[in-house]
Amino acid sequence: MDNRQSPKQKSHLFSVSTRRKIVTYIILGVGAFISLVPFFWMISTSVMSLGEALGSTFFPSELHFENYAEAWRRAQFSEYFLNSFLITIITLSGELVFSILAAYAFARIDFPGRNFIFTVMLSTMMIPAMVFTIPNFLTVTWLGRITSIPWINNWPALTIPFMGSIFSIFMLRQFFAQVPDELYDSAQIDGAGHLRFLLQVVLPLSKAPVMVIIVLSFIGTWNSLAWPMLVTNTPDWRPISVGLMNFVNEAGQEINLTMAGAFITIVPILIIYFFTQKQFTESIARSGLKG
Amino acid sequence: MENKNFFKRMFTGRKGRKLKEYLTAYLFIAPSTLLIFIFGIFPVGFALFVSLHKWRIKRTDMIGLDNYVRAIGNLAYVLVFALGVGALVGVYFLIRRIIKMVKENDDQPWLCIFPGLLYAAITAAFLNWFYRALPEVLDIADKLRGLERTQEVFMGLLREALRAETVVPAWRLFLWLLLAGVVIGVLVRRFYQNRRNMSYQMYFALIFAALAAGVGLLYYTYQQVNLAYVEAMAEGVDPGIWPQFITISSGAFLLILAWILWDRAKKVESSGSFAVHILAALILLVGAWLLIGEIPTIIASGDENLWEGLKVTVFFSLGTVPFQLMISLFLSILLFQKVRGSNFFRIVFFIPYVTPGIASAAVFQQMFSNRQSAPVNMVLRFLGIPAQQWLYEPRGIIQMFGEMLGLNLPAWAAGPSLALAVIMLHSIWTYVGYDTVIYLAGLGNIPKVMNDQAEVDGANSWQVFRHITFPLLSPTTYFLSLIAIIGTFKAFNTIWVLRSNLALGTTDTFSVTIFIEFFEKLRYGYASALSFVLFAIILFLTYINNKTQGKRVFYG
Repeated sequence: MDNRQSPKQKSHLFSVSTRRKIVTYIILGVGAFISLVPFFWMISTSVMSLGEALGSTFFPSELHFENYAEAWRRAQFSEYFLNSFLITIITLSGELVFSILAAYAFARIDFPGRNFIFTVMLSTMMIPAMVFTIPNFLTVTWLGRITSIPWINNWPALTIPFMGSIFSIFMLRQFFAQVPDELYDSAQIDGAGHLRFLLQVVLPLSKAPVMVIIVLSFIGTWNSLAWPMLVTNTPDWRPISVGLMNFVNEAGQEINLTMAGAFITIVPILIIYFFTQKQFTESIARSGLKG
Repeated sequence: MENKNFFKRMFTGRKGRKLKEYLTAYLFIAPSTLLIFIFGIFPVGFALFVSLHKWRIKRTDMIGLDNYVRAIGNLAYVLVFALGVGALVGVYFLIRRIIKMVKENDDQPWLCIFPGLLYAAITAAFLNWFYRALPEVLDIADKLRGLERTQEVFMGLLREALRAETVVPAWRLFLWLLLAGVVIGVLVRRFYQNRRNMSYQMYFALIFAALAAGVGLLYYTYQQVNLAYVEAMAEGVDPGIWPQFITISSGAFLLILAWILWDRAKKVESSGSFAVHILAALILLVGAWLLIGEIPTIIASGDENLWEGLKVTVFFSLGTVPFQLMISLFLSILLFQKVRGSNFFRIVFFIPYVTPGIASAAVFQQMFSNRQSAPVNMVLRFLGIPAQQWLYEPRGIIQMFGEMLGLNLPAWAAGPSLALAVIMLHSIWTYVGYDTVIYLAGLGNIPKVMNDQAEVDGANSWQVFRHITFPLLSPTTYFLSLIAIIGTFKAFNTIWVLRSNLALGTTDTFSVTIFIEFFEKLRYGYASALSFVLFAIILFLTYINNKTQGKRVFYG
């Protein structure tokens, strides 16, 4: 708890406002404690010996960092990490290019059918994912059997369906629409078309929303479970989420290892969050939507 | 040379520049639109197609509404019937709108009826072709088995599929209608020059489409119910669908009537309004009584798992959304008072939300394990309470409290199982940070002047909260509750990790039930039907939320 609230005037050691402040800090501290206690427990258990982990202590007597190596090896995390990174990178490269182009057109070019197409696409956000899952699984299987590259157990099934993202388009469109028209007019006088204006003027201004899309897409891949479970049945392209779940089921009672595994999967996300946290939280608050 | 000149001419001048602009836009949106169509719009129709079939890994027979009947009993027939009636009501409103438009502008748009009719027919012909071509195209994958997967082979098979006996006439019909539609559309534009020409054409097209859909659905229900009767009679039982139809329809009709009366009553003067209110209430009672009496019997023949899943989802919503919102509102108000380190707390509260759900669920799984030495059981022991089974406990929490006090509660009062309660805790723990951040943004939008003024007027902080902050936050609350309720219907990942067979399915929400049908029992057709039921429920909830809360939301 934060006890630095030393009162400035000694005579009013516990004035009304100070007391209120102390209560506020206690409540916030309890909230922070509850938010963090699972993490403390996870980290502390992950460096215990198995006997201690199953026992009733909250702190390890010796630090068994080799649990991490063991979990990493047993769960084949190096493979799953690589898979998740590849999936994220492939999805993102497609998603960003396609969404930026589409969002620009929706925001700045007035073409027939613009509102209709946008509304129809936006309405798909209402539909629960379970409605898509079954037909998309059939579509992907079908596509895999008619094209020369397999889709199931391979990158296309895991990435291509997510490259068209109405959420990203929506967010970028909001941002692009705020770029002042004068900028475009002057660019046009300089002889720049839409594509050049987009690449040289609009995009450099839009680092924040692009960053948010990158982070959300990363988190999305890290969290996705049902779809990868459906379209992978070998470890070749399985992402970390499925890998962790399988490891938790396999390792069962060796909870020091499963906690080490859980911590390993959390670390990359936490690193990204801490580096982008300001933009990240603000964009979520402003767009009011989540991925 | 000639060609180049042609293109150059096409894109110069005012019209040419506009054309170029349009083409650029369409090129820009093409990849996204294509992908969203294939994986976001087409699947809705495809899922409907699957749900009308017996489909276990492979498509077999077309079985009509059977999957739906298996899921929700004879209510399926009633709902399809209601959809048909809804389409016809839509026709009525569209006609009223057209008449209003005609009167306002003194138009004579009756020529537009013809293109409208044609457009509706074109849409229908296209859907007809699509419906016939889809199975043929799907079969290509089977035919390709063992063959070399080159483009020529595929194109050959595709051509063959589209030239199948059932497909070609449908395609021809579509083409002829399309041609006729274009010709007549252009002609009508020539003969009837009016600024609102296109809107009239579209309105008439909508009317005819809705009319066809309504009549089609009604006829389809009639046919399906008759089929069910024939089947049941063969076994010597009376399915009793028609009587159920009549009761439920009249019940629903009375409810709607009561709603309309109640709405009207607000406009009538006070003395008359009271009588109308009473009348509306009476009608409401009768309608509700009819529905409450009939619906349980009609759905009794449906799938038990589905109702169980629905019950679990409702518990999940009621057990998470209000608590999550209250806690986060409280925290955000504390954080908003410019306390030192508020940024630190905000970051900390947000961490559970960004943590991958599967990892945090794995941690909760161990913290709430049934071991005597699991952390939560240790805390209980410290408090002198015996260790619990937590995620492996199928008994309801209210039931368990009752047993602790020595009461024997009836089964319906058992409440959510302890296992589900743990999952709820995890959900609340995850989302409080997110809600807090959104509430903070909402608080930031409230003009500070209002609070200051209230304080000058002598309001204490509770009064400021009750009469200023909370009402001004209502859009945020509305948004968050909608997102959260829909979220509970979609929730899957963490439940999938935290569920155990020992909890006897008391943690399986609707989404999980669907996934099990699909992934483990491999009933694709049935699972698709269930997913449509879920979709319908979410639509209904959004609508109700809009109707009831939307009006009370105060948008500053």
